[in-house]
Amino acid sequence: MNCAQASRLMHEYFDGDLAHEDASELKAHLGGCPECRERFNDYERTEGFLHMALAAPVGRTEADRAALTDRILKSVPGRRSRRLARWLRQYPGVTVAAMLGLVLLASFIASWEQDQELVVRGSDLSQIVIEGNKVVVPEGARVDGDLIIENGEAVVVGEIRGNLTVIDGSVNMASTAKVIGEAREINQALDWIWYKLRSTVIDLAS
Amino acid sequence: MIPIEARLARKALKGDQQAFAEIVGLYQDKLYHMAFRMLGSRQEAEDVVQEAFLRVYRNLDRYDEGMKFSTWIYRIATNLCIDRLRKRKATYSLDAESTEHEGLDGYAVIPSDDRTPESEMLLSETQRIVRQAIDTLPAKYKSVMVLRYLHDLSLQEIGEVLDMPVTTVKTRVHRGREYLRKKLERKL
Repeated sequence: MNCAQASRLMHEYFDGDLAHEDASELKAHLGGCPECRERFNDYERTEGFLHMALAAPVGRTEADRAALTDRILKSVPGRRSRRLARWLRQYPGVTVAAMLGLVLLASFIASWEQDQELVVRGSDLSQIVIEGNKVVVPEGARVDGDLIIENGEAVVVGEIRGNLTVIDGSVNMASTAKVIGEAREINQALDWIWYKLRSTVIDLAS
Repeated sequence: MIPIEARLARKALKGDQQAFAEIVGLYQDKLYHMAFRMLGSRQEAEDVVQEAFLRVYRNLDRYDEGMKFSTWIYRIATNLCIDRLRKRKATYSLDAESTEHEGLDGYAVIPSDDRTPESEMLLSETQRIVRQAIDTLPAKYKSVMVLRYLHDLSLQEIGEVLDMPVTTVKTRVHRGREYLRKKLERKL
């Protein structure tokens, strides 16, 4: 065995991996080679120093420990937000849908609150009479097509050849009144949203 | 039978804060000790430990129970330490004046912060010299040596922690030992 081989075996020895027969060979070499013996002693000292220097206690007090534990536990997010965060990470589409829903809802609410004044819409408004917030279809008059009234009272004496929709208002039908289509009243925000959605869809479809 | 850490990890994953606190209790000292030996600064060691636990918490769902929990957590903490040592190198190598305390590959030796605990002030001259010699090791050797001599990990385990073949670990331990032997030979 030469000294380079011996050196390699020494490392194996200090790694705790030296095979038994190699150990006896190394021992034999060390017996006859003072340089390698010296080197072996140096390694042994180095090992001891490393253990001592690295494994020595770091001198932390119980208070240091508690403070760090506290810091760590405060830095991790709580249960709920963590689960929610994980869930959202798993289903990013939900976030997008929720945001979209929020924007739509906000715009509906905004338009819901905005419309406080009387609005009359229809394809044929020539024979309609407006008195204050009353929208009157007088006797003998005929409206061709749909009539939509927001924030007002509909007084129908004549004839409507289409749908009558009243939003946030009331319908007052005389016995002579005639509505060919549907007469509807919308008074709640939810209905309003439904109505808007439906008309959007119908608009898109047509 | 599942190891206690794996059971705690499962509970923590379900949102059990107490279980997570127990994990912190089990590993805080080990991680701190390792980080302190790697970085030589209380402040930095504490930051690394906190960051490591935060990563553990965030990645509990990715913990593979086929791996020892200690291996996993040491890997996270070791990587954070190595990153810091590398950043230090990057910062200090820009500073041409501070070559006085450089290690064998240009790593600057950062003096530890002034909040040195009393037990550290009582260090023997021998310990101080050994500590300084270790501090001049490059990060890749230092991490191997710290895991080996502080936590008494087998070469196999060190390979798992650092995600490298055991032959590489071996080479590094041998070179590190050789380097330190030479370094200390002249001083002790």
